[in-house]
Amino acid sequence: MKRLTILSGHYGAGKSEIAVNMAIDFRMDALVDLDIINPYFRSRSVHALLQEHGVNLVESSVEKSSGSDLPYISAQGSRPFYDKSLRAVYDLAGTKAGAKIMMQYRDLIDADEDLDFFVVVNVFRPDTDTPDKIVRLIETLEGGAQLKVTGLINNSNLIKETKEEHIAQGEKILQEGSKETDLPIVYTFYEESVKPTRRFSGEVRPLRRYLAKTWL
Amino acid sequence: MAKVLMKGNEAMALAAIKGGCDAFFGYPITPQNEIPEYLSYHMEKNDRVFVQAESEVAAINMVYGAGGAGARVLTSSSSPGIALKQEGISYLAGSEVPCVIINVMRGGPGLGGIQPAQSDYNQITRGGGNGDYRVLSFAPENLQEAVNIIKESFSLADYYRNPVMIAVDGLLGQMMEPIDLDEAPDFGPAKEKPWAADGSSGKRGSRNKIVSLHLDPYKLEEHNLNLKKKYDEMVDKEQRYETVEIDDAEIVFVAYGSMARIARSAVDTLRKEGVKVGMIRPISLWPFPQNAFEKLPKSVHTLLTLEMSLGQMHQDVRIVNNGRYKLDFYGRTGGVVPEPEEIVERVHKLLNKEDQS
Repeated sequence: MKRLTILSGHYGAGKSEIAVNMAIDFRMDALVDLDIINPYFRSRSVHALLQEHGVNLVESSVEKSSGSDLPYISAQGSRPFYDKSLRAVYDLAGTKAGAKIMMQYRDLIDADEDLDFFVVVNVFRPDTDTPDKIVRLIETLEGGAQLKVTGLINNSNLIKETKEEHIAQGEKILQEGSKETDLPIVYTFYEESVKPTRRFSGEVRPLRRYLAKTWL
Repeated sequence: MAKVLMKGNEAMALAAIKGGCDAFFGYPITPQNEIPEYLSYHMEKNDRVFVQAESEVAAINMVYGAGGAGARVLTSSSSPGIALKQEGISYLAGSEVPCVIINVMRGGPGLGGIQPAQSDYNQITRGGGNGDYRVLSFAPENLQEAVNIIKESFSLADYYRNPVMIAVDGLLGQMMEPIDLDEAPDFGPAKEKPWAADGSSGKRGSRNKIVSLHLDPYKLEEHNLNLKKKYDEMVDKEQRYETVEIDDAEIVFVAYGSMARIARSAVDTLRKEGVKVGMIRPISLWPFPQNAFEKLPKSVHTLLTLEMSLGQMHQDVRIVNNGRYKLDFYGRTGGVVPEPEEIVERVHKLLNKEDQS
């Protein structure tokens, strides 16, 4: 795993959950929440849990005002670009405007930076249900962030209704997108309730739902 | 159709298009912004009308105009925005113009906050506008139910010639769930509206007027009595609810929307402990599903109302209960969403009290 991992994807693809999973499982030093669009289900709700795991959460809440949706980015977000001893995951909103937030770090990214930019895809989201739409999304995000995407993550799911065949359906569509863009599928995530029996592309990992409550 | 994973707000917006919505007028407010955002793109793609109005007041009056011309119209907002629309809603009801309103509720009063709440119950069921009018209103518990009801709501609004409100709290607007957009049947296109002010005067032989002003008090009383007939029909035909594990229940929760999801989780936990609890889940807020309370088994001794407010629906439970059962209430407000454990604890407290008495 690279020192810096930037995750993006159309909203609802599950990138915030994956970011929390990665930050905890891979013992990252920081999780930087750059997704300033969504007012609910933000990584801030697992602040304490991340702290327990030694992950510093950088996010945009206002002290004593956790319900705010003030769209600002903490200057702490740039620290991992200066301090090369830090490993960090960035959670980047999945629209052109959202991806543009990466632009502020552009001058801090060295040519040989140890960095990955992954796009998370759930093919059961209507905006990413075909290889064409996925390719267009990748282009949009690259344009917004001014950064080359380096890999795809298959997170195809219907939450509690997910079955293994849904992951396979996602794999099939993503493989076509992968062929067209020359981007590898680097991870496949599966719901904890669905233990996959067949092989899937990339590293296959369980997705723990930290942000959504069990009754949701 | 296969299932897709959608966010509540976009699912409701798409359901409106499926339900035959011709035009949307609205003004942004969190936590419902994905509705206008989605419609700003998809209404045009489907040859429908989308207008971002200059304010909530303007939006509801555009709804009044387009609805009066016979179109199937939608507006959406969140609690303080719905408050601004109340005058228009009273006019729409008074002039018998159908429309659909989606209310994605947040904490109040005033601007309040942007986190989920259910403190609009009084505003929805009692109305913030003037006059003897009612708004047919539904509060779905999950996105599939929301999609189904929104599709149906346009034909209900047309049938009753009355505003229909779909009320969800912010959680349902923001959460994601798999849905099948074609699970609910197609309720069909709008029937002809011979009352509409659609510019076809002359051909019909008479002029159509959309008015809520009746200066002769006897005429206005007669108009009100005619409206009341419609409201009585709604009370007869539109009470909707679900009962959960009430057959042998001793304590029955009364909860709707997201609160019902949390209560459902508490029912599971308590049932595993051997505590006999069940739930009445109102789906229609107005008419309040009083029928659900008529058929309760003899085992019931307490109704526990659960709300994300300080006890607004509880007043209706009190009225319907009419002294029959013991009543209790638990609620959180201001955007705080209770955990199922809080409800479990409340029930434990209730049981302890009984042991002591």
